[in-house]
Amino acid sequence: MAFDIVEYPAMSGHVGLVLVSHSAAIAAGLAELVGQVAGPDVPIVPAGGGPAGALGTDGGRVLEALRSIDGAGAVVLVDLGSSVLSVKAALAELEPAEATRFVLADAPLVEGAIAAGVTASTGASLAEVAAAAEEARGVAKF
Amino acid sequence: MSQSSELTLVRLPESVALHARPAGVFVRRAASFAAAIDVQANGKRANGKSILEILGLGADGGTELAISASGDDAVEAVAELASLVTSLT
Repeated sequence: MAFDIVEYPAMSGHVGLVLVSHSAAIAAGLAELVGQVAGPDVPIVPAGGGPAGALGTDGGRVLEALRSIDGAGAVVLVDLGSSVLSVKAALAELEPAEATRFVLADAPLVEGAIAAGVTASTGASLAEVAAAAEEARGVAKF
Repeated sequence: MSQSSELTLVRLPESVALHARPAGVFVRRAASFAAAIDVQANGKRANGKSILEILGLGADGGTELAISASGDDAVEAVAELASLVTSLT
């Protein structure tokens, strides 16, 4: 008796990035830069700034960004301090099964996003993309 | 069968430094091979599949890169990457 090999569509597509900064301009500018280096296949969602456009972080905006990511999930990169808290709060709002599609990376924002974006563009897994982001902590700039 | 490639020397075009965008092009191609890829320039060594290490080489236009690889598709990888370097814009 023959068995069909079933490929699960939920695992298709590239892993994405969610970029969280106190500044909407930093998050948007970084999304643009990573898009240039990593190419068009990687979903990149900026989630910068506080409520009403002030500097700060906004768990609601982060949650919206997380919910806009489908399929293979995303690595979440943050700048400083309350960005971490906003992401954790947003992840806590998701169903547990949904939350497993995201990894909050402990990585420098710019270098981590570049490394993660290029790795994601190769079709790497969520764990591999998160590892690429975290390896950025140990790489000298010049 | 595992293979190792010879060290292949290739020069970046005069007008193209291995900055973010061209480095991204190089690394994404490098990542499509199973072989481990090593790039040396300016007395530094980088993993060819790491964008940050490649950027860290600080290779300006006209810099000579030494590319080598080890693994099943090493020979093909080095030939293709050397050709890619000369065609970067």
